[in-house]
Formats: sequence, structure tokens, C-alpha cells
Amino acid sequence: MTTRHPLVRTLAAALLGALLLGFASAEREIVIAQGVDVTGFDPHGHHTTAVEAVHVNLFDYLIFRNADGDLEPALAVAWEPIAEDAWRFELREGVVWHDGAPFTGEDVKFTLERVASDSSLQPFDSYRQIREVEVVGPHEIIIHTHGPEPLMLNRISRLSSGIVPKHVVEEIGWEGFDEAPIGTGPYRFVEWRRDDRIILEAFDDHWRGRPAFDRVVHRTIPEDSTRVAELITGGVHIAPNVPPQDVERVLASGAVAVEQQPTTRIMLLIMNTHEDAITGDPRIREAIELAIDNQLLVDAVMGGLGVPTRARLSPGISGSPMELFGTYNYDPERAVELIREAGYEPSDITIKVEGPAGRYPLDVEQAEVIALMLQQIGVNTEMEVLEWSAFQSRIWNADNITHFALMGLANSMFDNWFSMRAIQCEAAYRNRVHWCNERFDELMALAETEVDLDKRTEYLHEATYLVVEERPWIPLFQIEVLVGVSTDVDWQPRQDELLWMFAAQPVD
Amino acid sequence: MTAYILRRLLQMVPVVLGITLIVFVLVRVSGDPVALLLPEDAEQYQIDALREALGLDQPITTQYLIYMRDLLRGDLGTSIRYSGQDALPIVLERLPATLQLTFAALLVAVVISFPLGIIAAVYRNRWPDVSATSFAVLGQAMPNFWLGIMMILLFAVILGWLPVSGRSGLASFILPAITLGTSLAALLTRLMRSSLLEVLNQDYVRTATAKGLQRRLVLLKHAVRNALLSYVTVLGLQVATLMAGAVVTEQVFAWPGIGLLAIQAINSRDMAVIQGVVIVAALIVMSANLLVDLLYALIDPRISYS
Repeated sequence: MTTRHPLVRTLAAALLGALLLGFASAEREIVIAQGVDVTGFDPHGHHTTAVEAVHVNLFDYLIFRNADGDLEPALAVAWEPIAEDAWRFELREGVVWHDGAPFTGEDVKFTLERVASDSSLQPFDSYRQIREVEVVGPHEIIIHTHGPEPLMLNRISRLSSGIVPKHVVEEIGWEGFDEAPIGTGPYRFVEWRRDDRIILEAFDDHWRGRPAFDRVVHRTIPEDSTRVAELITGGVHIAPNVPPQDVERVLASGAVAVEQQPTTRIMLLIMNTHEDAITGDPRIREAIELAIDNQLLVDAVMGGLGVPTRARLSPGISGSPMELFGTYNYDPERAVELIREAGYEPSDITIKVEGPAGRYPLDVEQAEVIALMLQQIGVNTEMEVLEWSAFQSRIWNADNITHFALMGLANSMFDNWFSMRAIQCEAAYRNRVHWCNERFDELMALAETEVDLDKRTEYLHEATYLVVEERPWIPLFQIEVLVGVSTDVDWQPRQDELLWMFAAQPVD
Repeated sequence: MTAYILRRLLQMVPVVLGITLIVFVLVRVSGDPVALLLPEDAEQYQIDALREALGLDQPITTQYLIYMRDLLRGDLGTSIRYSGQDALPIVLERLPATLQLTFAALLVAVVISFPLGIIAAVYRNRWPDVSATSFAVLGQAMPNFWLGIMMILLFAVILGWLPVSGRSGLASFILPAITLGTSLAALLTRLMRSSLLEVLNQDYVRTATAKGLQRRLVLLKHAVRNALLSYVTVLGLQVATLMAGAVVTEQVFAWPGIGLLAIQAINSRDMAVIQGVVIVAALIVMSANLLVDLLYALIDPRISYS
């Protein structure tokens, strides 16, 4: 029996039409899942890698760091220092904003002068060196600084460096901009559903060319196991921070590869070197360093995800003596000797291990293993691990470190001066470490304004070795994170943890 | 009736005020949002500048007075996490997602517990009763965090029938609603069973049976209706528990409701948003309680508010 009822035929035709339409408009979409949502779209309204990881697709920098860590032209095509305190930039011509208006030097002036002058903006500290942006022509600007500024290129190529359109912000204000941001990046803003998803679509007129994917969806999935499940079922193509214990399960699905992504974050022990504390004795600090087996810590706690280091540096950080990376000192016998030389028996002393819980990957476990390692040389230990915000207010900002605190510090400036700036005599860590070395400060002051990069590197190397010898902090290892990437996508994670989707290609 | 409702609505005002005070103080003594916004090695002047910009440099009493003044104008303050946006719209735009989920969970709970409780009571101590009671014990013993993850594993990852997470389409409701509704279903099953058993032993039921009424009629018309009173009471009171459960469920399923908002806001000490969520949640719970009281009058004609 054949049915030729008109309704059936209509329905069949409609179904076929819908199918054909579906194929014709098949969009290439890539879905990314992070644990936290963006806080808005004002590039100066945050200081967070996870937020910048999304922003970077909407806004262009003047200079962009490529996946290898090298600086390459973006909105600026050429640059040169023209005086000790001035840099000239030639801007790219023919760049348009997502609303079609042309990009000019006025936009750069508007953007940089705002963040350089408002101290309540979170990234202010990295831009306050800028005195004025002079617009010489529509595509030429000069950035004047308060003094010699060797880090100028690092400053304008890091998080929060996205350039915003003057005409749009002046028209709709920063609050309006947060709801409907406009940039020059490869993707344009479509929709933001808070704590759910951000939808971006390819910008046809982007100066690098049209990106390979038509749509980028950034989803917020706070729960690790849910993110992993989405990855396995193909609901998500890229997900940073795959928990090490889930790697096997993820790989078993056959649809996902797990990439190891080194970061600039170094786990370290911030020491209280005040003479009233037992850690005020340099021999005790050295003993603590020698008692810790950094590689074992990485293997036992982090599942091998990390590289031991003796200084707060990692590949790609300018001015770094790299011979200190990938190495560590472990000598428990010498540690015991040092404690005896300081006039104690190991069992006489009690060291307090302090740290935050839930701030860094497996931070509590790290603190526990460090305490265990100290116990191995006969030292007594006490532990205090607090939820991050409580740790901040009771220990960290209260300058209440008893002996040492476990911290993890990232380096978005990709520079060794930036790494060490906080331990100068009068800087942020003054009352935390109580360490003051005049020669170190002198070297840091020289490096801060030295534009001859070879000389600057020399100063920074010497300063780094002073820190390594005197141990106001004891670096442990560089954190590596795991990123799940679907086999349908060709994309490599970056050391700065940005989710730069222009580089993503579909695998057919 | 109207007077009663008005009186109840007025009573909500001091409760909300009390709640704002408690939350205001708790949020401020438990951590510093400025420290969470800035990097670990931020300079003191930056911390000070941001604190001033957020108004946190004022004494806590001044902060509270400013907060109350704004609250009376319907202004809950601005979000710290969502750089300077008004807190109220942020909370309200998330409300539908949570209400839908809560309602779906309530539906799941009623659809399971109502028949199951009746069957358990009618077949007391026989296998349907044992099965229903086992479900009730199991359902209440499973933390919904664990249940959610297990359901994702089974129905989304292994069987591939349902989406893992997110809020897009009807299918995405199924797993979170069952996760959130199961423990309530378990509680209500037990409750329905015990109150029905109690009613079934009453004289008027025996009388109705003696009069020769059909067993089905006796059960549904006389017994169940009277057993409903405690069922509805607990159902209404459990709205608060459901809202609390939604916090965990939304986290597991990346469900963009006020529960997820609450967790993210607490993690970043986003004071205005935390306060907004608590006030809105309190209003919902109080309204649910009021609704239950009004429902009594419908179920039990002996109760009247006039």
C-alpha cells in the first residue's frame, strides 16, 4: 500500500527541505569550556588570565606574542625607541572595527591613557609608566613614558592590552560597552549569557583574514567532572585544566587528545626572614630548601605535571638565567648539618607550613607533602591551610607568615624584573619576607630603566643569584596544566594560557 | 483573607531586614574582595585605590547605612565581579533558570512520591511497600552532588541519551530535575505512606467502608484528601531545601541559575550579588510558605483565614 495523502507529501517535502537547508548552513562551531565566566568586556576591568583568554579573540593588541613566545606585529606594524622615554609606533592601515569604522591612533591614545591614569583599574600598575600617547598621524603614534622603559613592548603585549574603539565607548559608555563590546579581533561579539555561554562569530573583515571557525562558544562549566564529561561526549572541543586523575578516561574515549601546557606560574615558599623567626637564619632557610625533593613533589602530588626550578622563571621570561630552571638542590643530610650549625637539633625546632586551599592545583596536598619532607629530616611541623580569601586576610595581607607560606606566582609580563619586583626593600612583600638587600635593590633599579637589553640581562642575572643564595623565597616548580583538545580540532595550547581561536583549524 | 495576606506580607519586611544585616556582616568578616581581584604581588597603593573605589575603606556601620539607604530605593548596589554592573538585574536575570529547575524538580518529586506513597500504604509490608520504602531510604541517603555526577556518567556519557550540562532545550532539564527532585521524592513518599496509614486507621474510614463504599472511592475521596494536609505542608517547607539543593545541582550541571551565581559570587566575595541572591531566595521561601498556608484553606474546609 502506498500513501499519497497530500499531508504526507507536504511533510516529506518539508523534512527534505529542512535537511538540505541544514547541510547548506552547516556552521563550523567550536565550543570551549572554562571553569569561570568572564567578568565583563572592559579590557581594563579585570586582571585574570581566564578572562583575557576570551577577550583576546575580540580585541587586538598593538603587538601580539605568538605561540612560540615571540613578539609579532598586530595593530602596530613597526616600532622603535626614538628617545630614552619615547617609542614610536607605526599602526596598521585598513583595520576596521566590528562596526565598520576605521581604526586610528586616536583609539590607541584613548585606550592607553585611560589605563595609565586611573589607579582604581586593576591592570593600572602595568601601564602607569605611560605619560602620554601622542597622535602624530592617523597611523602613527608616539608613547611617552615617565622615564626610560625597557619593558614597553612587554607591557603592551600582555593581558588587558586590547585596544578599544574611542567612538563607541564615548557613545555608549563603559557600562554599555560591557554589554555590547566592539573590537578589531578575529571574532565579533554576539551574545553573553552570564555563567552560561559567550557566543562569538567570525568577523569577515578581520585584517588577518577570516578565521577558520564560523562561531566560537565559550561555556562556563565550573565542575571538573562535568567539563570532562562534555569533552568525552563531544559537547566541548577544548577544555583547560583536565584533572590528572581523569586523563586515562579522557584518552580512552579516542575523541580527545590531552596536551601538556606549561605556564608561567611558579609554586614557591615565601619565607619570613625576620630575625625573630627561626627562618631568619639563612642556614635554616637553606636547610628547608635542601630537605625538599622538588621532583618527588612534582611526581607524587602533581602526577609529573611540573618542572623543578631554583628561581621564579620559566622558558620565555626575558632576563632569566635559565641554568636555574629544570634543576633543584636536594640533600637531606646537609640539611640536618645546617640545622646543627645553626645551633639546633632538628627535633628541637617546629616549622609552620602555611598556605591557601583551592587556589592552586592540589595546593593542600603540596603543603602536606612539604611538611612530610621536613619531618623526614627530623623537624617538627605544624600546618595551617585556609580557604583562599581567609588565607589572604589572615596571613597574606596581614603580613602574618610565621615561617613560610606556599604560593604560586604567574608572570604575565614575561620578564624577570617583573618576577622579582615585589621583594625589593620597599615593595609589596616588605612585611612578608622582611628581606632587604641593598645590592639587589640597586640591580633592580638599574634594570628597571636600562634600555640596553644585554646590560639589563646582566643586572637581572646577578639579582636572581642573590635571591637564590639568600632565599627570601624558595621556588619549587613550574606548574603545567592539562588541556583537553578534541581530535576534530587542530589547536595547540599556549604558555600564556590564552584561548586564541584564530589559530584553531577544523580537522576534516 | 485579603487582610491575612497583607499581614503576612508585612511580616516579611523585618525578616528581610534581619537577613540583610546578618549577610552583610558575614560577607564582610569572611574575606576581602580586593585581595581576590588583584594579583598576589599587587602593591599596597593599588589595594588602597581599589578599596576606596569600592567604598570598602569606610567603617562597616557607614557601609551598612549606605547599603540600607540604597536598598530602600530598590538599589542593591553594584557587582564587584561584574565590574560595576547593578546587582539586582544580575540576580533577576538568573531567577527564571532556577525557578524552572525548582519547579521541574518539584514535579519530579510529586509524580514519583504521590503514587508510590499511596501504593506503599495500601500494600503495607508487602513487596510494593518494601520496594517503595527502599527507594525512599536510598533516595534520601544519596547526596545530590554524587547522584548528579553518576547520572551524567550513565545517561550522558555511557548511553548518550541526554546532554551532559547546560540549559538548552527540554532534554537538558531531565537530569538536573531528577537529581534535585530525588531526595524530596524520597521524603514525600515516606510521608505520604505514613500519613495515609494513619488516616486509614481512623473511624470515618472504617465507617465509609462499612457503608459499602467502593475501596477505591474510600481511599481517594476520604483517606488521601486528609493525608494531603501534611504532604502539602512539607512540600511547601521543602521549597527552601530545594533552593539550597539547587546550588549544588546547578554547579554540577553548569545550570546558569542563582545557585551557580551564588557560588561564583561567594568565591569572589561579590558582596552586592551575594546579598541580592539571599534576599531574593528569602522572598521566594517566604512566599512559598504563605502559599502553603493559603492552600490549607482549600484542602481543609475547617481552616479559614477570614
